[in-house]
Amino acid sequence: MSGTSAFLEGLKAGLGEFVPMWALWLGSALISVAIALGLISLIAMFSVWLERKVAGHIQCRYGPMYVGWHGWLQSIADGVKLLLKEDLIPRDADRVLFMLAPALVLAAIVGAMAAYPLAPGILFADIDLGLFFIIAMSSMTTIGVVMAGWASNSKWTIYGSMREAAQVVAYEIPLGVSLLVPVMVAGTLNLREASAAQADFFGMGWFMFKNPFMLPAFLLFLVAALAETKRAPFDLPEAESELVAGFMTEYSGIRWSFFFMEEYAAMFLMSAIGAVFFLGGFESPLTHLAGQLFGRDLVVVGAGPEFAFTAINWGALVYQLVAGGTLLVKSFLGIFLMMWLRWTLPRIRIDQVMTMGYKYLTPLALVCVLGAALWEAGWQALVRS
Amino acid sequence: MQQTETAQGYVKNIWDTVKTTLVGMKITWRYMLQKPITVQYPDERMPIPDRYRGIHYLEQEKCINCLACARACPIDCIEMEAVRHGKELEWISFTLDYQKCMFCELCVYPCPKDCIHMGTEYAFVTFDRSEFKHDLLSFKGMAREARIRMKEAEAKKAAKDAAKAAGGGKSAEKGGEG
Repeated sequence: MSGTSAFLEGLKAGLGEFVPMWALWLGSALISVAIALGLISLIAMFSVWLERKVAGHIQCRYGPMYVGWHGWLQSIADGVKLLLKEDLIPRDADRVLFMLAPALVLAAIVGAMAAYPLAPGILFADIDLGLFFIIAMSSMTTIGVVMAGWASNSKWTIYGSMREAAQVVAYEIPLGVSLLVPVMVAGTLNLREASAAQADFFGMGWFMFKNPFMLPAFLLFLVAALAETKRAPFDLPEAESELVAGFMTEYSGIRWSFFFMEEYAAMFLMSAIGAVFFLGGFESPLTHLAGQLFGRDLVVVGAGPEFAFTAINWGALVYQLVAGGTLLVKSFLGIFLMMWLRWTLPRIRIDQVMTMGYKYLTPLALVCVLGAALWEAGWQALVRS
Repeated sequence: MQQTETAQGYVKNIWDTVKTTLVGMKITWRYMLQKPITVQYPDERMPIPDRYRGIHYLEQEKCINCLACARACPIDCIEMEAVRHGKELEWISFTLDYQKCMFCELCVYPCPKDCIHMGTEYAFVTFDRSEFKHDLLSFKGMAREARIRMKEAEAKKAAKDAAKAAGGGKSAEKGGEG
């Protein structure tokens, strides 16, 4: 049983007499959405600052330096500025779709966030098809992007959204297929279980080291994830130098910032998927140590009729924090890698994007899946004999 | 990415893509670790060369309002105005129009008193175009020393006149006697 449902059970046992069940359920759902939204904004703020620092240092500049220590509060200042900006809607735009698009984009990514495990026992939702859910929800954002491009009624935006659609269709296939490789090794699509399957070898039994086809699959996943999150060198939907700002050209203020929050949250989720299915997820030697010292209890807050916040299991809390922190660090390392690539490589042409997706990534991903399947079958046969 | 039909070309394309990406990443990594070459501009500034030609500065006490610099200026952006009281000058204005000035330094050479120089200040930002007509004077009217000198001279003259008058009176008296 996961932490949230245990938490809900506890709440039910504690408050069930006074509050109806549907209110409890609705309340905890609203709280979860609020936490997910807050998490997305925090991730976006930190990532924007990190992006500007990485970009600056790669170009031998400093980046933001004035607001706070090395400009770490710059994102908050920018956020205030975005909130105060005029919210423009072009006269000839489709008003309903124009206003709906950023909301849809943000809603999809908040939905995807539901499957992100904060820690082994602290989850929004313990979904058995977690990986599938995240990929499906984060491709939902494409609909919002295409909607934004169409509703803005401008040639730049429609070019941007056409490219986005073409790109996502091309890269969804290698993304899914390359993720099949670790899924075959793990035998599950659940993020928490996949992570737990890598706990052997003192927390270093990562899927990356368990199969020779894992490294090429990881590289394919990385390229496909870059294209999926519209990051350079695949940032054709935005393409500042050709399309003004692509599908976001006509947006301003808080609506515009929704697209940015989506972009960084999508980057974070893609990195988290990569971390969970290739790089050990929660597992690292540090997590192993914490597990040895404090046990691997999943339930932090006491459940049942004696539900109370005084019954916090401190050992389990420390373990959860270490495990959750490990995944967070791995995810941000993935984001850093994406930024590093962004400021290294120039944008490629749309025909090159298509060539790469259809002629290179898809066949190679299929080869990887085939090889990994044969290897796994051979390995199992060897173990059984 | 070259368009090659052969299997060899296909493999080579993949290899080239991976290799060139890694080379690029190595270069950017090296740049990322090195110290930034920019400075935090308003707080610190790059060193300025000795013969840098920035906004002029004027040693007003030395200036004799001879207009040599204004005549030398190829685009006539220097204007000056002063009233002469005997030997001393009462300054009204000495303006340089930085919308026109091209910082050629030609105004500096002809100065007989060596009082106009090219300065080191280069950030000249204003909210209004008219402010580009920059007044180089550090004070208006007359210098304190000049005023003192003039007063002394006047006092001297007055004393001399008085002495002269007294002398004249004497002679007149003498004349009267004589």
